[in-house]
Amino acid sequence: MQPIPTPDETRANQNFAALLGALSRPGQIHRLAAPGEAEIIQALIDRECRVFSADPGLGAMLRQTGALMVEPQEADHLFLGALSDLALLNLLSLGSDLYPDDGATVVIQAGLSQSQAQTLRLSGPGIETTLDVTITGLPNEFWSARRDLIRYPMGFDLFLLDGADVMGIPRSTMVEVF
Amino acid sequence: MSLSSLTKPWEPMSYGFLDPSAKRELRRKMLKAVAVPGCQMPYASREVPMARGWGTGGLQVSLTLINPKTRVKVIDQGADDSVNAASIRRFLARVSGAPTTLDTLDADLIQSRHRIPEEKLRADQILVLQVPNPEPLRPVEPNMSIARQMHGDADYGRMWLQLYEQIVRSGRVMQGASYPSMVNGRHVMTPSPIPRWDVPKLHMAKHLTILSAGREKRIFAVPPFTRVEPLVFDDVPYRVEEHGQLTCYRSGAEGFFMNEIPQPDGSALHEISDSEYGVKHIRTAQGEPDARGETWYQNGQMEDTP
Repeated sequence: MQPIPTPDETRANQNFAALLGALSRPGQIHRLAAPGEAEIIQALIDRECRVFSADPGLGAMLRQTGALMVEPQEADHLFLGALSDLALLNLLSLGSDLYPDDGATVVIQAGLSQSQAQTLRLSGPGIETTLDVTITGLPNEFWSARRDLIRYPMGFDLFLLDGADVMGIPRSTMVEVF
Repeated sequence: MSLSSLTKPWEPMSYGFLDPSAKRELRRKMLKAVAVPGCQMPYASREVPMARGWGTGGLQVSLTLINPKTRVKVIDQGADDSVNAASIRRFLARVSGAPTTLDTLDADLIQSRHRIPEEKLRADQILVLQVPNPEPLRPVEPNMSIARQMHGDADYGRMWLQLYEQIVRSGRVMQGASYPSMVNGRHVMTPSPIPRWDVPKLHMAKHLTILSAGREKRIFAVPPFTRVEPLVFDDVPYRVEEHGQLTCYRSGAEGFFMNEIPQPDGSALHEISDSEYGVKHIRTAQGEPDARGETWYQNGQMEDTP
């Protein structure tokens, strides 16, 4: 008998492939199966997670996964929606030098379409030399705040979400603002 | 909320053997492993129908990544047909319905024990390495809590001391497989017991490598285009095995990593370790179209050794 994946399994598998591709190749845009944070939640979140959501619309789905809803400083996965307040970044869990995996995974809505707006130059693991990308919709001081917070290997990992497009910025990526 | 919304339809078996919560845990840990290249991340390591230490770590990663379209190749010391490789390949195909292949160039997912194929891997391929002992510091620090602190402090002096002692005692670095390597300039990892020949293949490679130790419950990764530098002294360069001049007695292939086959008269024959590459070599010699891909080593030399 040929094993057939359930629709849930297919969806989670496809979305994880996108997330893994996005995080191992920072700055590249990968596509989720459908738009929205729900795809990421379904692939990653269950009752072993502590999550924070700034978007009340995700509450029902997150509760159904069994995850504990906590304050931002205790969360391992944060869904910050369209980030407006940089103060939230200061609360993120960064893990420790001994256990860098305790650093948070942060999902933020941002604009990933090509435009003439702020250009960023990325370098680090996953990028052969450097890569220029355009990211809109984040507060002005976001990238300098990120740089000040990350003490590699301590830090947090970002997924930027624009509809079904996702871009990963792991803590190992250097971001220069032009 | 109804009862049916809280339950799932009955299945005879979870797709890909692992249950969804095991897969989610592995997914979360794989992402963290990619985010901090070379750093060992603890994970739960579930039971699979295979004894721990026989590739259960790699198997769990493969089972999480696999879908019915993933073309899988499994190798054991370069060979597709050894018992370990054949059993894992059959198991993966049976629980996922995924097609299998022996050809490195055809594969989407390559699970390997102790070798990296000779043909260059592409960006769309993922290499999963089975790791028996993930802790490079174990020979110098058996206490794993202290070893973790040493990783946290990037305190790797004893690793160099170990290499220095080998050079003083034996005149050369004796470390054959699992050569300790610095990843992204921060974490020293063991590249799993691949020969020294294979370590440069990880440096700035196009593909993603995931290393998983099932018995030791740790997972780590080398993302594409990541620096992987074997620990060496400035005046003692890194040397790979001297196999560049050897010829495979079966296929006639020359300049690749070989298995030594001792003969009764005390001499030795050599056979190419990457068995499918040897097969391609033979087929080409018999007049079939050349199916061999670009290799990392050419004429026994790595093109740009780090």
